[in-house]
Amino acid sequence: MESNTNPTPDKPVIQSILAEHKKQIKIGLTMCAHCSLCAESCFLYMSHEGDPQYMPSYKFLHSVGRLYKKKGDVSRAQLETMRDLVFENCVLCTRCYCPMGIDIPALITLGRRICRSQNLFRNYDR
Amino acid sequence: MIKAKPKPLQEIQQYVAPYESVLIVGCGGCVSVCLAGGQREVNLLKTEMELAHFQTHTAKRMQGYTVERQCNPALIKELDPYIESADCVVSIACGAGVQLLAEKYPGKPVFPGVNTIAIGVDLDIGLYEERCRACGECVLAYTGGICPVTRCAKGLFNGPCGGTNGDKCEISNEINCAWHEIYSRLKAQDRLDDILKIQPPMEWKNQVKRTIVQKGYEERYIEPK
Repeated sequence: MESNTNPTPDKPVIQSILAEHKKQIKIGLTMCAHCSLCAESCFLYMSHEGDPQYMPSYKFLHSVGRLYKKKGDVSRAQLETMRDLVFENCVLCTRCYCPMGIDIPALITLGRRICRSQNLFRNYDR
Repeated sequence: MIKAKPKPLQEIQQYVAPYESVLIVGCGGCVSVCLAGGQREVNLLKTEMELAHFQTHTAKRMQGYTVERQCNPALIKELDPYIESADCVVSIACGAGVQLLAEKYPGKPVFPGVNTIAIGVDLDIGLYEERCRACGECVLAYTGGICPVTRCAKGLFNGPCGGTNGDKCEISNEINCAWHEIYSRLKAQDRLDDILKIQPPMEWKNQVKRTIVQKGYEERYIEPK
C-alpha cells in the first residue's frame, strides 16, 4: 500500500478498497436494524455513559457505511473525522456482538484500512 | 503493553541484502503505541532504507503496509497480495507478530525490524519501562505489587541477596534494590507477614510453547481425555 500524503484523498484507491469489500459492506448496511443491541457489548460505550458515538454500529455506519454511500467521494476533513471515529473510539477488541450476524470488527478494520491508505492513522505522540 | 525498539538500520539492511523486493509490515497494536512499529514508523523505515540503498547504488523495490494487529490471523489476511509480490518481509511488530507472519507465509523470509523488549508501562511519550516478563507464575500478591522477576537483577523470589547495599542493588548504585522496595511497601501496608511466606522455585516454562485457554473456553479448544 502506497500511502497517500496529499491533502486530497486518493479517490480511486478508496474506491478500489470499497469495491473489494462491496458485498460485505452492502450486507452490513442492509442487515443493520439499528436495534442498538451491539452497544452493550462495547466496553467503551458502557464506560462513556452511553455516548452513541461509541456504539459499534455507529462507528461502522459513519465510517465505511458513509464512504460506501458517497462512493468514496469525501474530503480530507471528512476522512479525518472518520479516522477519529475508527481509531479513537474503538480499540478493536473484536468483542462487539451483532444479533444479525454483521461482522462489525471486520467493517471497522476496513474503515481503518481506508484511512491508512490515505496516511491517516492514530498518532500516539500527539 | 508490549514495548519494542527499532533495530539499527544496518542490521535490517544486512537481512534484506540478497533480495530485490522488500515489504515492510507494521502493526497497529502495541508497537504503534510505543512508537516503534506503527504506520508512521513503516513510512520512516521505508524512506530510510530507500535513501540508504540509493546511496549505495543497490536499489530495491520497497513497499510498506500496516495491519491492525500482526498477532491475529484474521487481520493479516489482507497482506496476501502484498506478500506475493515481495521477495522478503521486514516485520516491525513484536516477536509474536513476526512469528505469525513467518508461520502464515512459510515460503517467504520474514525478518524482525524491531527488538521486542518487555511488557511495560508508559512513563511518558516515548519513555517506557519494563514491569513484567510474562513468566507465567505471578507473585505480585505477596510482593506488594513489585515484581521480583523483573525488578531484581537476580530475579530472586525470597528476599534480597547478600549484596544488597541498603536500598540499592549491588550491580549499580543507580538501581534500587527490588527487595528493599518490596519490604518498604509491605511494611507500609502492614503486610510484612507476606514476605515470610516462602515461595517455591519458579517453574520456568520457557522450554515449551505456552498456550492460554481462558476459563469457559475449555470445551471449545481442549479435547476431553
